[in-house]
Amino acid sequence: MDVILNFIGSVLGMTGTYAVLFGGLGTYLLLPHRHGAIRPRAAHGAGLIAVALGLLIYMTYWRPPGLLLPAVFLYVFGATSVIGAVLTITSRDPVASALWFASVVLSTAGLFLLAEAPFLAAGTIIVYAGAVIVTFLFVIMLAQMEGKADYDRAARSPGWATLTSFIILWCLLASIATLKTGEKVGTGIHHLARNRLEPEKQLLRSRDLEAYIGSPDANMTGVVRRAVSPMSLVADARLAEGEAADNPEATSVLVHRPNVAGIAASMYTDHLASVAIAGALLFVALVGAVAITNPRMPVRPSSSDPAQRAAVGSVRP
Amino acid sequence: MLVLIGIVIKMLVVVGVTQGAVAYLILVERKVAAYAQDRIGPNRCGPFALIQPLADGAKMLLKEDVIPGYVNKPLYLLAPLIAIVTATIGFAVVPFGPVGVSAPGVSLPFGMGDYKVDFQIAPAIDIGIVYVFAVGSLAVYAVILAGWASNNKYSFIGGLRSSAQLISYEIPLGLSILPTVLLAGSLDLNAIINYQDALGESLPFGLGSLGFLGWGVFTCPIGFLIFLTSAFAETNRLPFDLPESEQELIGGFHTEYSAMKFGMFFLGEYLHVITVSFLTVVLFFGGWDLPGLSQEQVGWIPALLKTGVLVGKVALMIVFMMWIRWTLPRFRYDQLMDLAWKALIPLALVNLVAMMVFLQATRS
Repeated sequence: MDVILNFIGSVLGMTGTYAVLFGGLGTYLLLPHRHGAIRPRAAHGAGLIAVALGLLIYMTYWRPPGLLLPAVFLYVFGATSVIGAVLTITSRDPVASALWFASVVLSTAGLFLLAEAPFLAAGTIIVYAGAVIVTFLFVIMLAQMEGKADYDRAARSPGWATLTSFIILWCLLASIATLKTGEKVGTGIHHLARNRLEPEKQLLRSRDLEAYIGSPDANMTGVVRRAVSPMSLVADARLAEGEAADNPEATSVLVHRPNVAGIAASMYTDHLASVAIAGALLFVALVGAVAITNPRMPVRPSSSDPAQRAAVGSVRP
Repeated sequence: MLVLIGIVIKMLVVVGVTQGAVAYLILVERKVAAYAQDRIGPNRCGPFALIQPLADGAKMLLKEDVIPGYVNKPLYLLAPLIAIVTATIGFAVVPFGPVGVSAPGVSLPFGMGDYKVDFQIAPAIDIGIVYVFAVGSLAVYAVILAGWASNNKYSFIGGLRSSAQLISYEIPLGLSILPTVLLAGSLDLNAIINYQDALGESLPFGLGSLGFLGWGVFTCPIGFLIFLTSAFAETNRLPFDLPESEQELIGGFHTEYSAMKFGMFFLGEYLHVITVSFLTVVLFFGGWDLPGLSQEQVGWIPALLKTGVLVGKVALMIVFMMWIRWTLPRFRYDQLMDLAWKALIPLALVNLVAMMVFLQATRS
């Protein structure tokens, strides 16, 4: 009983709970009603106010990476991405939804830039805004030639959808709030490096698999052995940085690595297993997509194939 | 603060020069078209029709700006803005001359110290070329939104054609530059120029004295051809101007646009032509590199010389693109798609793998 009470107490004590509550309520009120009917204006107003309130509370979680300009950019990109996400699911016009999604992707790319991840930002724009959403738009525009269909304008089960997605959001917020940020040692960049390193240590990486699969002496051969070998350069550079904080004479350990090289090094050492699995899945999906494609008879039969010509009925003698 | 002011000045210069260049590119295009068809072309406004661009600009601004009643107004207004913004911000990472070590410096008055003038708005960006592609991939929104918001069947077909074409040709465009990037070992455009310069001078058997054999066009000729073909498609120019094709679609996606909004689409298209020409020169023609110029030369005179060489190469490239327009007929739509998916993409993949094998084999 005490456990449950404690849990409820800690849930109510977290600021994020109220952000999620207000945001979820507002989103539910703003979602298009079933059968494409329009909700009363009062419900829309209440929804807007609740979403705004939730966003304001959520903003207390944001930590700007610097003063003035970075802070302004953080709040602008963050707010536009959240507002764009709400508008994506509450718009009644599918084309507008797709465009709001594009604005979410662009704001997210801006946040990546603020986090010093330019390659991720550019990659996100190329893949999502440049390819995926354009394909969405393409299909929506082709399918929407005659007016908008009812099923496109209404959310199917807004209540359940809002509930589940906001529970996931709450879990994320709770995990961020309880993440240990490490003891504060040193000053300046070493202090930052130490603080960034600590939460990262809590993430599961391929090299940690070694501990789960078996002891280092276990008979692992081939791919598994390579996948879990601790040879990441990025993390090691960071480790060296962290150690430099304790040893003031060794401050020249700081190594600048190009962004792309750093990501590649991390992907093919720390996360090799995940990359290989994702690649295999995508390959299977590719083969499947080719397999289920319906091969169609060509409109104009090739003149060299008499059987095909007879089947279609050639005009020429 | 000093850096910020420098960047703002560079931005103003680049935007001003490129937009001014666009006005004169339209004149060049008309003159090239005229000579290709054995005509004289515009010759009434000033000597060699040099005031013609001003007259054209004034005409664009002063014409009646019609917004048809049946359009989706917000998207209709947004489309030309996207066209011009995406075409302009791509210039941020394109080098116009020497950057980094060989950049000249100025000593400022009032004891404000020295300032190094990099001929690039945002120097030392790791992802250089990827940024250009990211911005370029957003340009398709202008066309697809213009086609859809116009609420007109011809515009709509133009928009659909364009989105399919741009998505298809982005893939060979991206794949074709990878061998060059692998060779240079960097995505930064300036590092790629420096690599070509250094490679050209270090070739054995006396080839180094020629100085220009390190250019991408000699080291990755197949990549260059694929890049050039895809670049024509990405800029919607003949023989790939299916989104506009006047004979079938009136004007394609910009049928319903008039006055300056129509002009903004044109401005965006020509800015794209300039960007693509810059990329071609930087990736495959050694940027500012000519026999006799190298990255060790520091100072204002070599810097201005290099900038002149780079801009001259870009101008030649632009004239080449205009020349092609009057040489090749337009593709049929299925031929266009076949070319991208069945020819260019497999070829680009084979080219990439071949370069990887070569690099792996020759790695000491």
